[in-house]
Amino acid sequence: MHTQIPSDARPRLSNGVRLQIDCTTGKGVLLFPEGILELNETAQEILTRCDGRTISGIAAELAQEYDVDLATIDQDIRETLTDLQQRKLLELA
Amino acid sequence: MNTPRPYALLAELTYNCPLHCPYCSNPTQVRAGIDLATEDWQRVIHEAAALGVLQIGFSGGEPLIRQDLARLIATAREVNLYTNLITSGVGLSANRVRELRDAGLDSVQLSFQADDVEPADKIAGARAHAMKLEAARYIREEGISLSLNFVIHRENIDHLTEIIELALKLKATRVELANTQYYGWAFLNRAQLLPTRQQVERARQTAAAAQARLAEKIDIYYVLPDYYESRPKPCLNGWAQRYLTVNPIGDVLPCPTALSAIPEMRFENIRQHSLDWIWRESESFNQFRGTKWMPEPCRSCPQREIDFGGCRCQAALITGDAANTDPVCEFSAHREIIDNFIRAADGGGPPVTPRVNPTSAHATRARAPFSLC
Repeated sequence: MHTQIPSDARPRLSNGVRLQIDCTTGKGVLLFPEGILELNETAQEILTRCDGRTISGIAAELAQEYDVDLATIDQDIRETLTDLQQRKLLELA
Repeated sequence: MNTPRPYALLAELTYNCPLHCPYCSNPTQVRAGIDLATEDWQRVIHEAAALGVLQIGFSGGEPLIRQDLARLIATAREVNLYTNLITSGVGLSANRVRELRDAGLDSVQLSFQADDVEPADKIAGARAHAMKLEAARYIREEGISLSLNFVIHRENIDHLTEIIELALKLKATRVELANTQYYGWAFLNRAQLLPTRQQVERARQTAAAAQARLAEKIDIYYVLPDYYESRPKPCLNGWAQRYLTVNPIGDVLPCPTALSAIPEMRFENIRQHSLDWIWRESESFNQFRGTKWMPEPCRSCPQREIDFGGCRCQAALITGDAANTDPVCEFSAHREIIDNFIRAADGGGPPVTPRVNPTSAHATRARAPFSLC
């Protein structure tokens, strides 16, 4: 169901959305107008790399870094990005 | 008991404002005192970040009146706070927007009174609408995220479609259709501001349809008119759980309206205590924290962890005791008072009392009352 996102898409946080480390918990959070979203570790690792890199590039990096199956990580990325895109926190340029 | 950590600080930099909206939730009477200096606010910001705060809203009154606003935004960004400016837009020139942007401003919530200049300027008591349109353009040109806020009342509630159109035209990412919350000036003017039940029902349908139709384009946030609900709002997600407010003279409040709504409560000041102590130890923050303070019917209610007994300020304003169940609740012994407010809101009655600034001393009648209809 996530195959509609092309592999060469370059996800970026939407205007007005910031990725931050919450010093109280040490975890990543997305900050936006009137809202805070606490991220799990996977989402944080993905979003740290949403700076102009392609989805396939991010998948390859994470697969190597964490020594996991590329198809699995690709699926994780697409699920996370689709969710955030639906909340308008992320754009796929 | 573990003290929760706060997530957001509302910094009310001044109670002065160029607008005179009769639905303002600012207090009608303020405690005399000297406004905090730049260094005081900078200390508040540092202490808030250390407590766990992640977001700061600069509000008022009109925060643009403070010439040190850009410095305070920069201070907030130094400690990684997300910065939001809550403004009327009056005084927001292209240069000022650029100055705030350079200081690190993340987003702006711009208030509007109506979709059209004439009713907007009438309710604001100032020729402000045209300036707001300009301000919206400058904000978007600088690439700052823009939310619009419309306080909804009897005079504009039938125009939600046009209001949403305006928000789309101004390229806002979010629009709040905020039914009036009856505190401060709004409570004083409730008979003139309250919409009818038919208006509320139509508005609910209009907002829901627009949310579905425009989901891709804009976030439409509809604040419920709680007098017309049968259960109270989960005010602040519970007293002293996530939010705190510092007012212009440094009083620290669990809720911005608490100072005037609960006159018998003693609030601490940032000039005498640290923010950390006030959040964790002070009586005002602990009095209604959690569920132990609750009387019946809240104490045994299955909803008590969902709505937290509603709003302490509303309980105080309407029932005379902040520890009572929010009178909006259908199980409150005082629900009849709300029903009487609704019955009395027939569009007649005395004219509204426009908001006046605290510095125009003894000025509760300084601006001529006017009729909404």
